Amino acid sequence: MPKLIKNGEIIDNTYVWLQDEEQEITPNSIVPAQKWLAEKDSIGDVAGIWLEAGDGVECLQGLDLSELDVIGINFPAFVDGRGFSYARLLKERLNYKGEIRALGNFIPDQLGYLLRVGFNSFQFNDEVDLEKALALHRPLSIAYQGDVTDPRPIFLRR
Amino acid sequence: MYQYDAIDQQLVEERVAQYRDQTRRYLNKELSEEAFLPLRLQNGLYIQRHAPMLRVAIPYGMLSSTQLRKLADISLRYDRSYGHFSTRQNLQLNWPKLEDVPDILAELAEVQMHAVQTSGNCIRNTTTDQYAGVIADEIVDPRPYCELIRQWSTFHPEFAFLPRKFKIAVNATESADRAATQVHDIGLHIKKNDAGEIGFKIIVGGGLGRTPMVGVTITEFMPRKDLLTYLDAILRVYNQNGNRQNKYKARIKILVKALGIEEFRKRVEAEWAHLKGKESTVPMSEFDRLSRFFSEPAYEALTNQPQELISKLADSAGFARWYERNTFDHKKPGYRIVTLTLKKPGQAPGDATAEQMFKAADLADKFGFGELRVSHEQNLVLADVRQDQLTELWEVAKEFGFATPTLGLLTDMICCPGGDFCNLANAKSIPIADQIQDTFNDLDYLYDLGNIDLNISGCMNACGHHHVGNIGILGVDKKGEEFYQISIGGASGHDASIGKILGPSFGQEEVSGIIQKLMNVYVENRSEEERFIDTYRRVGITPFKEAAYAKAN
Repeated sequence: MPKLIKNGEIIDNTYVWLQDEEQEITPNSIVPAQKWLAEKDSIGDVAGIWLEAGDGVECLQGLDLSELDVIGINFPAFVDGRGFSYARLLKERLNYKGEIRALGNFIPDQLGYLLRVGFNSFQFNDEVDLEKALALHRPLSIAYQGDVTDPRPIFLRR
Repeated sequence: MYQYDAIDQQLVEERVAQYRDQTRRYLNKELSEEAFLPLRLQNGLYIQRHAPMLRVAIPYGMLSSTQLRKLADISLRYDRSYGHFSTRQNLQLNWPKLEDVPDILAELAEVQMHAVQTSGNCIRNTTTDQYAGVIADEIVDPRPYCELIRQWSTFHPEFAFLPRKFKIAVNATESADRAATQVHDIGLHIKKNDAGEIGFKIIVGGGLGRTPMVGVTITEFMPRKDLLTYLDAILRVYNQNGNRQNKYKARIKILVKALGIEEFRKRVEAEWAHLKGKESTVPMSEFDRLSRFFSEPAYEALTNQPQELISKLADSAGFARWYERNTFDHKKPGYRIVTLTLKKPGQAPGDATAEQMFKAADLADKFGFGELRVSHEQNLVLADVRQDQLTELWEVAKEFGFATPTLGLLTDMICCPGGDFCNLANAKSIPIADQIQDTFNDLDYLYDLGNIDLNISGCMNACGHHHVGNIGILGVDKKGEEFYQISIGGASGHDASIGKILGPSFGQEEVSGIIQKLMNVYVENRSEEERFIDTYRRVGITPFKEAAYAKAN
């Protein structure tokens, strides 16, 4: 079974990131957000949805997200930083409590920032050595800004 | 100036360790070239034509003598004994070894310095007026606000991978804008409202590069407590909506232009509605804390124009010239702001040798409470010099090449490193600066011409700010040969404007001859006391164009 890093541990990845329209949807699927929005009533049980860069989170506003175990956010390229805002907005604006999973071409050196904006699981591309990635799975110990872990900027904590 | 506490120090030290590990993994091929690129850029390391270039951050241009000595020392031991001060108040080392960079950073951390976010698509060093805190007519000292922004922007987790680089500059006086704020991604003008509260006029979407634009006002007055939440809102709108396909259309200015300021403002306000009043609202205690770092030094009770100064001004035309050009009114009686110019003929604009850096540090200790500033025009500034010590300072400054009395004049050029060093450049810029220095070497003539900003960039990226020079020179490549496009009418102050291109470009050897022709047109057309830019604005581009392209009789 493929692996991923979740909550700081390497574990089996039981969900399937559905990128291909033709793939069969099962209760383990993470389906495209747009598809889920369009077919919400008929799509059946799914593990969660994933956002493409460019989707934004406004499309999920006002919906009950508690039924989703996971929301994935795709990084088409690791330098495409839109997903950093999406994760934060899911947490802070839409009050989503479930797993937020990074998907795609992000890299282990981004883990510190990803953790701070609310990602807690990381489905790296196959070539990434997860043991080595785990060594980078912590932010710098000082944060000047507030983040999802602690909304207080440094001036409220000094 | 700001002093790190244990928290700030720990952060830079952790960053050194993090970057050391990234360099190690890159060198043993665990990190790909592609992955290492933005990581090293976010740490100010470019790979240039001959060698890497490391850009060291000098937050809002403030340097202690200890820090400057460290920079000099690093340039001696890790580089070729000189550095280049940039238009954004940073210092560039042109020849460090990639594998030495972690050690350089560790040494910088010893003196509370770093290279964090001096490049890459993230929030860069915040810049401000080099006369901050020592001029009489500023609303408040902008530096505590710059430090607030520095901390907010340092390792901001959401905005480390923006569509493109992001630059913020702060101004705090109506009388001038020495930080070119209107051609920054965000320009902040400190204001006081009718109730006496401090806030910011916020200008967004200025920038140079391929598509130069003067920024537009998004809000006339934002109370200072709300500054960070409002900046977060602007950045969040930009991070999600900026162009990610084409790097030449990725700066915030393109987004603001495309949406129009009303729509852009609407989106920012909608975002801000969620952030306003939340934790990032800055409490008074933080403004107080930051302000304490910028309290006044122990000024003596002195009077203006002491006898020593009056007699020296009368006795020495050279001193009088330097005093007139290179020193500036100080808010305290008996003090003067002195610019140590880095525009000596034969030396690239903004370059300082290790020896000069050591000397400037000594001068700061002796005459300036141990502090210096770096200016946008690529000079060094001693902000607090006693008027009765100006003669002594001038003598030493002359000896070390700091007293070229041309501040603000035609030969006080802004110039990028250009094709001699930079990979991006289409053409060399330093030889053009040399040529102009050689041609315009008559001080009387330069004084007669008065204030003229001449800016040179070696390519469209516009690091030399050619668009906002009264005269701008841009290096272009035509079939492998270097040519120079000349524009006129740019300005970077409160009257910011983008220069207009004169016409077809010129060969390298023609440049100073063309500048001479432009000066002739100015001299013939000016009314008394009229600056070059004002004459240009009155008479338009045509006479200049005609003179530049007239066939010789």
